[in-house]
Amino acid sequence: MTEPRQHKGTEPSEAELIERAKWGDAEAFQALYDKHKRRVYSLCLRMTANTAEAEDLAQEAFLQLYRKIATFRGESAFSTWLHRLSVNVVLMHLRKKSLPVISLEETTQGTEEDSPKKDFGADDVALAGSIDRMQLQRAVESLPPGYRTIFVLHDIEGYEHNEIAKIAGCSIGNSKSQLHKARMKLRDLLKMNRAEKAGKSRAG
Amino acid sequence: MVSKRTAKFLVIGVIVAGTLVAESKKEYHFTVGRRAGVSVMNPYGSISVKPSLNNTVVVNAVLHSDKVEVDKNQNGNRVDIQSHLLDGADADSGRVDYEVMVPADASITLHSSTGSLHAEKLHGDVNLEGAGATVDVRDVSDAHVHVKTMNGPVNLDNIQNGHVEVDSLSGEVTMREVNGPLVQVVSTSGKINYIGDFGNSGEYRLSSHSGDIEATIPEWTSADVSARSVRGEVHDDIPLQPKYHVWFPVDKGRAFAGTMGRVAVSSTVVLRTFSGKIHLRKRSEKQQ
Amino acid sequence: MNCVELQQSLAEGEDVSSWEQKAHLQACPACSALVKELNLIVAAASQLQAADEPSPRVWNSIELALRQEGLIRPQRVPVSSFSARWGRARWLVPAAAMLLLALGIYLRREAMPDQGVNQASVAVPVANASDLNDADLLQEVADNEPAMMTQYQENLRQVNQSIREAQGVVDESPNDVEARRSLMDAYHQKSMLFEMAMDRFLQ
Repeated sequence: MTEPRQHKGTEPSEAELIERAKWGDAEAFQALYDKHKRRVYSLCLRMTANTAEAEDLAQEAFLQLYRKIATFRGESAFSTWLHRLSVNVVLMHLRKKSLPVISLEETTQGTEEDSPKKDFGADDVALAGSIDRMQLQRAVESLPPGYRTIFVLHDIEGYEHNEIAKIAGCSIGNSKSQLHKARMKLRDLLKMNRAEKAGKSRAG
Repeated sequence: MVSKRTAKFLVIGVIVAGTLVAESKKEYHFTVGRRAGVSVMNPYGSISVKPSLNNTVVVNAVLHSDKVEVDKNQNGNRVDIQSHLLDGADADSGRVDYEVMVPADASITLHSSTGSLHAEKLHGDVNLEGAGATVDVRDVSDAHVHVKTMNGPVNLDNIQNGHVEVDSLSGEVTMREVNGPLVQVVSTSGKINYIGDFGNSGEYRLSSHSGDIEATIPEWTSADVSARSVRGEVHDDIPLQPKYHVWFPVDKGRAFAGTMGRVAVSSTVVLRTFSGKIHLRKRSEKQQ
Repeated sequence: MNCVELQQSLAEGEDVSSWEQKAHLQACPACSALVKELNLIVAAASQLQAADEPSPRVWNSIELALRQEGLIRPQRVPVSSFSARWGRARWLVPAAAMLLLALGIYLRREAMPDQGVNQASVAVPVANASDLNDADLLQEVADNEPAMMTQYQENLRQVNQSIREAQGVVDESPNDVEARRSLMDAYHQKSMLFEMAMDRFLQ
């Protein structure tokens, strides 16, 4: 496949690539894409849990970026700009699909399922040592969409609650409580997965 | 005393034996890095390229006489193989048949005047130039495929996610399951056959002067299609949502333009010929 | 602090930093295990950032859209991949270039009939453009690759015919864009035939 051409001598800086992209340089577009594609795509994939949708959304995010690149003045980091744009693209997509971006459920109205009492005295397999990336990935994909969004934005992508509240249009308190529920749900999913594996190996 | 008939057979036998003795096999190995470049220039004889299992380029050459030798050169990550014709060589004596194995991500360039060209299961760029013999490319993904031919047929099978450009003078071009962001075929008199679904939201441009263009696609294809023939006919078996704001007059029987499937994810398909026929066919259940 | 209160504090996004929380965790194995497991999950989450690679079709689609929208602008004159590989002087380049130059002048002239272009000043014999340098090409084929003479003759005949046919329609209907495009393609095909000969004879 035609790869970005290696520049002789030093690689161009991101600022140079941005300037060249403003002039319509195809190589610069591709170099910027190659630099940021994994972050953008992974974000889209984690939030949609669907490869085809994630690719379409990543494509849309980059296209929106490139259409606006002439207006980029360097006040913030390019990656921050791109990342925020990507999040907005995904959230708009979720809203269009009428999927909850972040649930409006408050902590005090937690469901029976989320009741803390359930977590005590269970014969659960402990989550010890490290967590396998693929297992965690699958567990994240299994989360309900609202929980998935908050977990991805906060724990994977590093957004603070006040930023998430602004992006998602919810309160900071809601963002915090939903994050806790998302983590608890993930914990349950990971434990179930380990218990199943332990059961299989005992039977084997 | 040896009879005339026996003497004739003896002479023929000596000639054949001489030819067989002159035929020789050579094998060369080259170690390369990622995305190596490999070229084979062979005036007479076939070239076949398949993927190797490691980072080695393996060249097996069968030389049909001692009037040809193989020049080989490695310059870093680039390997160049050329058949060098000696004095007195012709299309028979100068013939070399190559079987080459390259790492799957290598870019290859093959030239032959009389021999067939074959490449399969690669994902580096593929550049082939043939003359009268078949050019065959299959199972190539995520790479550009460029083919030039004079009158040899071109067969492309399962080419995905790259740019495909074919230039044919009179060779027939057949594409099965060829999808990518750009698929372009230009032919003078060679027929162009497309069997697939114009997928990948790509741009498909098939044009010929007098060669017929036939596209066989399933009903669920998503595409924005326009077809025009200056002097020939156009036929459309698939219902299209007509488009009226096009830049050419949509004369019935000489042109059609419309959309099919989901516009939001559709490809652009442009079929043009000067005097050939254009036919957009519906793919049957059996063919799918 | 009891277990429910600890859970409540976690849900409110508090770090386990107050002495009441720490004291409870020391005393309660279940809550201690819960907090450890939640911390493991948070630590593992960073592995998922930028963990996946999109398929090449994503860039291909982006590039196509950028070109269609005119956001990608040519930075230099594109060179064909075959020409770029062997940048040697070619005796047949003038022939191929003349074909395209003749076409360019012809089409431009036909597009401006009212602008008083002095037709006599256009020295290129456009009417004979289809025969331009054919004899030279065939002579080279005869000298270098006589076995391919028939192929070259036949293909040359076909491209010349396509040029004449397309030219005829353009003469009748100068505004027929499709016919003009067919003529351009025909010249391109003839140029390709010359280029293929060049590549062979210079090996």
